[in-house]
Amino acid sequence: MSFRSKVFLSITVTVIIAVWVVAAVVSALVTNSFERRETQRTAALVAEFQREFDRRGQDVARRIDAIANSDTVQRMAVNLSGPQPDASRYVDEAAALAREQSLNFLELVSPDGHIISSAEWPARFGYEEHWLLGPVDWNAQGVFLKREELADGAALGLVTARGVKAGERTLYVAGGSQLDQQFFDSLPAAEGMRVQLYRNFESRPASALAAALVHDLQQQPRQLTRTSPDASISAIPLLGRDKQLLAILLVESSRAELASLKRTIQATAWSVGAAGILLGLILSFWTASRLTRPVRALAGSVRQVAAGDWNTRAAVESRDEIGQLARDFNHMTEQLSEQRDRMIQAERVAAWRELARRLAHELKNPLFPLQITVENLQRSRQVSPEQFDEVFRESTGTLLAELDNLKTIIGRFSDFAKMPAPHLEPVNLNDAARDVVKLFDAQIHAPERPPIEVRLEIEQDLASVAADPEQIRRALRNLVLNALDAMPKGGTLTIRTHNVNGAGGNRVAIEVSDTGEGLTPEECERLFTPYYTTKQHGTGLGLAIVQSVVSDHHGTISVHSQPGHGTTFRIELNR
Amino acid sequence: MRLRAWLWLALSSVAAGTLAAGTRPHYGGMLTVDLSATFSTLEPSELPPILANLIGETLVRINSRGEFEPCLAIAWQREAESRRWRISLRSNVTFHDGEPLNAVTVAPVLLAALKKEHSEVSIVPGGTTLVIQSDNPLPDLLTELAGARTAIVRKSENSPLIGTGPFRVTGWEPGRRLTLAAFDDYWGGRPFLDSAVINLGSTRTSADVFDVPFGSLRRILPETTRIWQSAPGELLALVAADIPPLAVQALALAIDRDPIVNVLAQRRGEPAFGLLPQWLSGYEFLFRAPPDLARARQLVSQVKLNPVALGYAGNDSFARALAERIALNARDAGITVQPTPNNSGSLRLVHWPLESADAAADLVSLARSLGLPERAKAVDASKPETLYEAEKALLDSNRVVPLAHLPQLYALTPRVHFREPARGNALTLHLEDLWVDP
Repeated sequence: MSFRSKVFLSITVTVIIAVWVVAAVVSALVTNSFERRETQRTAALVAEFQREFDRRGQDVARRIDAIANSDTVQRMAVNLSGPQPDASRYVDEAAALAREQSLNFLELVSPDGHIISSAEWPARFGYEEHWLLGPVDWNAQGVFLKREELADGAALGLVTARGVKAGERTLYVAGGSQLDQQFFDSLPAAEGMRVQLYRNFESRPASALAAALVHDLQQQPRQLTRTSPDASISAIPLLGRDKQLLAILLVESSRAELASLKRTIQATAWSVGAAGILLGLILSFWTASRLTRPVRALAGSVRQVAAGDWNTRAAVESRDEIGQLARDFNHMTEQLSEQRDRMIQAERVAAWRELARRLAHELKNPLFPLQITVENLQRSRQVSPEQFDEVFRESTGTLLAELDNLKTIIGRFSDFAKMPAPHLEPVNLNDAARDVVKLFDAQIHAPERPPIEVRLEIEQDLASVAADPEQIRRALRNLVLNALDAMPKGGTLTIRTHNVNGAGGNRVAIEVSDTGEGLTPEECERLFTPYYTTKQHGTGLGLAIVQSVVSDHHGTISVHSQPGHGTTFRIELNR
Repeated sequence: MRLRAWLWLALSSVAAGTLAAGTRPHYGGMLTVDLSATFSTLEPSELPPILANLIGETLVRINSRGEFEPCLAIAWQREAESRRWRISLRSNVTFHDGEPLNAVTVAPVLLAALKKEHSEVSIVPGGTTLVIQSDNPLPDLLTELAGARTAIVRKSENSPLIGTGPFRVTGWEPGRRLTLAAFDDYWGGRPFLDSAVINLGSTRTSADVFDVPFGSLRRILPETTRIWQSAPGELLALVAADIPPLAVQALALAIDRDPIVNVLAQRRGEPAFGLLPQWLSGYEFLFRAPPDLARARQLVSQVKLNPVALGYAGNDSFARALAERIALNARDAGITVQPTPNNSGSLRLVHWPLESADAAADLVSLARSLGLPERAKAVDASKPETLYEAEKALLDSNRVVPLAHLPQLYALTPRVHFREPARGNALTLHLEDLWVDP
């Protein structure tokens, strides 16, 4: 992930978290405030309901008193207190009296508890109303809520009753006003509030929230409030005279305003968040460009140094950490450059020393026999001149052989020193491998040499490579010679070729493996160093020449070896 | 002292005479009658009972004991197994236009009326005798001759209806007013009243006589008003259609008839359990059964019943109150009855006035109205058990639930008098029996 992306991500995450936290806090505060206000409004409405309930109750009581004290009812009471009262002629009285007093309900009930006349349900004459016959002083009773049966269903009423005594008998007047939705509509509900009356004999409200509240109150009448995302409903139980649940006052407060407010907060948060992200994007670009420019310049300098330009210096443009880093980098490259120069110098001296040592060592070996031979000639002339001719003949042969040996040594050094530039042409490595094996055939199958098995594992469809055939053969010869030297007790020499298709492009590989003693990791590391050899007799130039050839062909060479398991050299060349 | 005693006696006699004059019939005066119902034709069969025999008369009539008695016919004789009837007409009877009543004037009127039911019938007039001949027996001919359908009336250019009754038509505004005048040559004797004005569709309480529908029974009437009440001759019943029989039985058991009569009808009438009233059939008490809600609920539980519409006449407040009461009783039994003021529905509230005091004829008529004439086919007026069987069969059809037998009610102002009892078990008020104070 780039620095710019990290900066952008950091700013974005910070902005989003900050905005979310602010939005959540504001939203919670608004919700609390709203709910507090709703609670107050509901309480005010319930108080208003109670006041209106009491006011209407007093009105109902006043009207019932008026009816009970009216001449009509007093006369009726007297008539019905006679020995054979005929109540049938009063069957329509209740309706007329209720109309007169604007009451919804009115029943005139005989002393034995039977309805004489009913305003709300005229057909109920003769039916029993035993609730009036209890030991109650109705004239001292207030108004209460009562379920009233009507022809088209039930209704709720604010009712009261009065007893009109005539002699020993009492005529009952019971009636009141209907408690209907109109009553609740008259309550001064605040905007967004709705007052509903659920009567405990009708099907539950359609709203799931209200239905759940009703269910709970039916189980245990008490004031409850429930909230949903859309509304908050407070339920107040309305009880009858015997404390039975008759109705539930449902005060519903719409939470649309709160929802709208929350949506606004949310939208604002989104907008601020988006603006923050945009700002983060701009800031990240600006910051990144400001911060990473020196870093990128420094990185460029590092790459140049890596590419070998040790004189590269980073520009120091500030006094901050980046400037300090640039200064440190420059100091480091200076130090490294100096150290490299010193190392090159040291390596050069070491190489010359090694070369001198090798040269001395190589030259010393043939020079010593030359000295001995010449001394033998001198001693033979002086001591036994008669044998001088024979000695001269043998000594000159030895001298010539050793001189040839010196020439060979010098030739090798000369060859390494003047490696020619390769003349590239299509070369089939299979052919090169076969030629080299053929070249060493006599040496491999020499009678005094322990048996060596040669295996050629070549890929038939091997692609050609662009190479100098002579230099390739020379490199292969060196590798085969090395392998043969590594197997003084015999073994297996394997030459393997195959096409390589990989990430590095299409190449051709050739491997030369032996089953000799193998090499240690340390030996493997130093193997291609010029003049380094693990053999008793060797210039240490063979593998250096191989590496030089491979390098001139832009190829790679590697070695895989484990002590006791032989060694494999692998050359890969471009097709 | 003696003189004072004589003077006192004389004054007392004068006072008593004056008082007695109010109750003693006398001629003269005009009577106004307001009827809540209205009609637009003077066909005798369409007239309300109070006007039925005022203008046109039938050959025979049925008295309050259910017996046939002479009217325009004074004698009758059945022959050839009721295939031939010999009717002797009353002499010295004239129509309102002065034409004498005889076999020649009666025959075409009667033949036209009888032909509607009996196409093979023929009438041979001969002086004051009519011979009615038919290929088929006519056992109920007398019942038919007592019906308003066979009233002997005519029409002319000058009068919409000419009969032989105690009153003649002097004015007719269809649907509004009928004016009658006493027929001086009435064979039964001139009526007391000089004239009568019948206002139709009127519910005033200021007329001399006005009918009191049960819906208005509880309204405030002038204190001096008297109520004349006929025998309970109108059947108030529920007629069921497309309702399971068990539901009808449940309804019959659920309805408490006593409060209907005692309160809604203000004790004027009788709870009905049979089609014919007790005073007419003599066996109606056999059908009586108190309300049994438990049994009704049990019956209802055996049927799947949808809400039942109970139709009643929308302009009849009594019918509405009655329908609501029935709905209330039905609800107690678990039946949902919905009163509807359009006189239609699976249940209908009907008023069937009895046509006469002839139980057999009334039962046959009711069976015909119920669409079950075959159930009254075996009725024989001379065998009361056949009436009972027929009526039981009609009740068992579960088509009808009797509720009450109601009388006709007329309010009379103090200036109107009648002989009391003018006719025992009278089914209607007879204007020819009334007189008014001068």
